[in-house]
Amino acid sequence: MAQEKAMLIDIKRCIGCMSCETACKQLHGFGTDPEPTLSDTAFTVVESRGDKFVRKVCMHCEDPACASACPVGALDKLALGPVVYNADKCIGCRYCMLACPYQVPRYQWTKLAPFVKKCDMCVDRVKAGKPTACAEACPVQATVFGNRSELINEAWNRIRGDSSYVPHIYGVDELGGGCVLFVSDVPFEKLGFKPAPSGNQPMPTLTQSALGDSPKVVIMGGTILSALYWVTQRRREVALAEAEEKAVINKIRGERS
Amino acid sequence: MLARIKSEITLWRVIVGIIFVTGIYATYIRFFEGFRASTNLSDQMPWGLWVGLGTLCGVGLSAAGFGISAAVYLLGMERYRPILRSAILISFLGYLTVCVGYLYEIGLPWRFWHPIVMWNHRSVLFDVCICIMTYTTVLTFEFAPAVIEKLPWKRLRETVLHYHHKILIGVVLAGVLLSSMHQSYLGGLYLIARGKVHPLWYSQYMHAMFYLSAIPAGLALTVMAIYLCMRSLNVRIDPSILSDCGRMVQMLLIVYAFFKALDLVANQAFGYAFQRTTEAGYFWLEVLLFLAIPITLLSFESVRNNLERLYWSCAIVVAGFMVNRLNVSINALQTAMGTHYVPKWSEFASTILVIAAAVMAFRYAVIYLDILPKAPAKPTYRWMSNGGLPAQA
Repeated sequence: MAQEKAMLIDIKRCIGCMSCETACKQLHGFGTDPEPTLSDTAFTVVESRGDKFVRKVCMHCEDPACASACPVGALDKLALGPVVYNADKCIGCRYCMLACPYQVPRYQWTKLAPFVKKCDMCVDRVKAGKPTACAEACPVQATVFGNRSELINEAWNRIRGDSSYVPHIYGVDELGGGCVLFVSDVPFEKLGFKPAPSGNQPMPTLTQSALGDSPKVVIMGGTILSALYWVTQRRREVALAEAEEKAVINKIRGERS
Repeated sequence: MLARIKSEITLWRVIVGIIFVTGIYATYIRFFEGFRASTNLSDQMPWGLWVGLGTLCGVGLSAAGFGISAAVYLLGMERYRPILRSAILISFLGYLTVCVGYLYEIGLPWRFWHPIVMWNHRSVLFDVCICIMTYTTVLTFEFAPAVIEKLPWKRLRETVLHYHHKILIGVVLAGVLLSSMHQSYLGGLYLIARGKVHPLWYSQYMHAMFYLSAIPAGLALTVMAIYLCMRSLNVRIDPSILSDCGRMVQMLLIVYAFFKALDLVANQAFGYAFQRTTEAGYFWLEVLLFLAIPITLLSFESVRNNLERLYWSCAIVVAGFMVNRLNVSINALQTAMGTHYVPKWSEFASTILVIAAAVMAFRYAVIYLDILPKAPAKPTYRWMSNGGLPAQA
């Protein structure tokens, strides 16, 4: 089986030229005007934070919240790395948008048959053995594409070789990790990276306890309710029998007197 | 002729007319011009009024059906049998509005059947979909005798009702379990939105909170509906049943308040209630309407035993419940999502249209079917004196 692919984004190296954004738009046939935030025609954007530039893009989580949330399983994590969207299954409930901790999925609000739109890590190119369009377009190797395990080693090499880097790779452990990794020379929280809502636990674990309880609740609840029903029925029968008995006794007493 | 037409035009008929015209226009915009034209939804607020009011409130306020059918069929509380059918009808119609609302909500309504064949066990929403579909079927089954007994063919009627009765208990049991599951899963939907839902509402037991709050709200709505039927449709119900329901609503609200407070303390979220934020304001509005005022009011015997006062207390419960669900689904998300969402008029109009249709269906069902016991002849209001106690006839 092919190794899991990933992208490493180096915030120290990024010069904010937006070549990645343009390449992405060209590949998907969108207009090339830059957009301020992710949209249904911008799967990645370069946001400036102070004098730094931070790419916003789908993190391609190892255990994605969107894929666990989708009621029809239209979102899927491939062993190859990308989290992909199957438009043929989607019903347009938009629960993935609510679930995604990075607020990545976008919706075609203006269309009559709207679909969810997000980065698919150029899955067709990746399957063909090519790098993603954004990584290929980057002139300074601020975004590089490769095997995830090798990229993690590469990131640690960069951090070890240059003390200005923050000694942390964002995206390896956060929310169970993902296939988009960031290294930076500025602390991540200063760049708008929010603290991970469930630490290093994948988001789907948040719902697993509630969902996992349901068989127990059904079995216990069913047993208790059936038992209660049996008790009420039995009491009714007993009450009826007692009433009958009483009636018979009264009748006999009446006859004697 | 003109005078006759004029006499037919009453205030409520005009209101219903306006609701239907605007609602149908809003529906047209939704299905023929799309979300951008008909809603203020955005990438930052993907779920809005349709989910908050239509689905969360619709399902929650329909909770009385399973509650009262469990009480009567399973626990043998025969006392509540007179209001059983009305509670089931309210639930049935409530779930129908949710099913119709579902077609508005999803972007590709012609694919409404996808969850039936495309399963994702890990999705709370999938479980909600399946539970609601199944439970709507159960409710259809539970309500069916009211229609079947009106059929003119005696043999068919009796055969169907005979077999219906044989499997009824099993179906009721399944219905109670299904309800318990999806009432709580509606809260479970928001479990995965940790970091987005404001801490005053987010907790790992959100699903339990939804379950505990739905039952008193559904019961309160049933009391309201029965009171209105008694006032305008010649329905006669022993008022002490309703005041007992009022007492039950109060007790259930106290249970919910206890667990909600416990939950806030356990999550160390109580502090947020005293910050100067909009969320804190909405939180206190919810506490006031859903808990503080009704629990106080319903503790007075003079309120419980007076049908009109009981009605208004239940109305406050229902209003407070709606504030709670809208808080969770909209207000609790706005800060984290960095947006401010105010529903468009068409979102209101389409939701109200569906609700109005359900209310009308309820009215005609009460008139033409045997949903609630009706007064035999001219209505007398003897029992209304003496504080609403039944006449000692």
